[in-house]
Amino acid sequence: MSHHVTFKDLPQGGEKFEPVKGGKLIGTLGLFGLLGIVASAFFFFNNTATFAYSWLFAVFFCFTFVVGGCFWILLHSASNSSWGVAVRRIWENMANMVIPLAILASPLLLTSVNQPLYEWMVHHREAAHHATEHGGTVKEALHHMAVDNPHLHVLVTKFGYMNLTTWFSWYSRFAAYFLVLWFIARTLRGRSLKQEQDGDIKHTIWSRQFSCIVLLPFALTVTFAAYDWLVGLDYNWFSTMWGVYIFAGCAWSSMALSILVVTWLRSLGYLQKVVTGEHYHLMGKLLFAFTVFWAYISFSQYFLIWYANITEETRFYLTRNTEEWRAVSIFILLGHFIGPFLFLLSQKRKKNPVIISLGCLWILFMHLVDIYWIVIPERGPSLGIGVFAPGAWVQDIAALCAVFGTMGFLYLRGLAKYSLYPWRDPRLIESVNVIN
Amino acid sequence: MSTTLKRVHGYLAEFDSVKDLYHAAEHVRDAGYQRWDVHSPFPIHGMDEAMGNPSSKLPVFVFCGGITGTTIAFTLETITQTNFWSHIGLGFLQKIVETYPTVVQGKPTDIWTLPAFFPVMFELTILFSAFTTLFGLLALIGLPRWNHPLFVSKNFGKFSDDGFFVCIEARDPKFSQEGTKSLLEKAGGKNIELVEDEI
Repeated sequence: MSHHVTFKDLPQGGEKFEPVKGGKLIGTLGLFGLLGIVASAFFFFNNTATFAYSWLFAVFFCFTFVVGGCFWILLHSASNSSWGVAVRRIWENMANMVIPLAILASPLLLTSVNQPLYEWMVHHREAAHHATEHGGTVKEALHHMAVDNPHLHVLVTKFGYMNLTTWFSWYSRFAAYFLVLWFIARTLRGRSLKQEQDGDIKHTIWSRQFSCIVLLPFALTVTFAAYDWLVGLDYNWFSTMWGVYIFAGCAWSSMALSILVVTWLRSLGYLQKVVTGEHYHLMGKLLFAFTVFWAYISFSQYFLIWYANITEETRFYLTRNTEEWRAVSIFILLGHFIGPFLFLLSQKRKKNPVIISLGCLWILFMHLVDIYWIVIPERGPSLGIGVFAPGAWVQDIAALCAVFGTMGFLYLRGLAKYSLYPWRDPRLIESVNVIN
Repeated sequence: MSTTLKRVHGYLAEFDSVKDLYHAAEHVRDAGYQRWDVHSPFPIHGMDEAMGNPSSKLPVFVFCGGITGTTIAFTLETITQTNFWSHIGLGFLQKIVETYPTVVQGKPTDIWTLPAFFPVMFELTILFSAFTTLFGLLALIGLPRWNHPLFVSKNFGKFSDDGFFVCIEARDPKFSQEGTKSLLEKAGGKNIELVEDEI
């Protein structure tokens, strides 16, 4: 209370970020993005099949941050919280990266890219070919194909969801995911910006009502996107925990990323009065909560499949628990859960910006490993080239540089467009002086 | 003439609001008192800092309790259901109890059947942490007890309704009848009374 900050202590019009000040990081990300795109173009034309997996991995990695940013503003508004007003703009901007992401994700729409990824599409296209030649529907044609190849029966029964031709096809869902996220992110930031004109509390209340309504469509978007892009890699496999598992990773990693962005901005001299150790502590607590939540969900998923031992279900873990992938699985258990869990237990470490930021770097790395471990083990077996595609890790790095570099470059430059915090939010002062 | 012996417990002072209480706490802290406390109807954010309290030892106890729970669960399960201990050369441990491997779904009886044991490890961790939290807390704050000397004061009953109090105990080395009283007066305390405990 001795350090109570009032509206008078904060600059009129908020703080504007000048990209020149953060030129080193922005430039590096931009350079990596550019080199990555050049390398990606090369791999796209020369190694389309293996590179498709790299691209999916990189795009999904960035997708998790957009989803996570979206989740944190939704949660913040829906739960009527005030503590995070000071850092809300960081999430708003993160969620609004959905448009560049959609552009970067669009190569997945190409047949040459999604064909090597999703085997079910190959069969569906073949069925569609038969259907046009001999008449009848695609589903009927699939049924005929299943006579010779009984494995395809599951595609007939899953036709209502996994198809390329109806109104609820893979393609229309692909578009819907980005539209829903774009709508949510844009509306909430739009309201937040309107509030900077008049400082009226009604925008906060409106955002709260809006967030409560769109939480369900948001949850469905994350769940189905995770099914379409990741579970679809093996059309036989299914897991009812999958959506929650991916969501837990999204919330976890995006919180770590926002802590890093806040630290970076503070090191450049911004947000000095607005963000305090208390904010780090609060964000660190949420990070801790999601460390445990992720572990709980991922173990529940593993445990049920491991115990039940049903052929269709175990394949996912069989691939990842044998050969070299076994070491990665154990590393994820230690580095994704046990390490961060012990690290985030202490209040002192959470309150110290430097220490928690180092922890967040590790968390981002582990999240990267997690997504890699989800996507890449499918590549070798699906393409019939053994456990690993030789030398394909270079393609993974190229894709990661291209997508993450470009997204990071655009995100950090985009911070300059608006004030770094919602400076006329009536609850800003409450947030700035928060004590927990 | 009364023959009851009385012992001075300390000075009790009342304050009007949270703000006054907070500032008074800062005063008492800066004066260097050790054995004193504030009483309010609800928790006050930032009061720990204003009182200069060191951070609680409880988390350390809870951590140790949790680790104990994990270890006990792990040992109990592996010793009774796997051959893990004989594998690491501690087979004699498994002679103490009867090892009875429960083979379910063709799962191994070595250490790699560990996932099956996670739920129990998790639950015992929680149970032991919860126990150490509760009993550690009770031990640290000195509960349960039959009575508290402050209940002698009629005025003190307000602490559970709308009263804000600071009490500086007589066993504090800095305590003096005059000095402590004037400190509380300077900090804005009202209805200052010397609380005496019957022994």
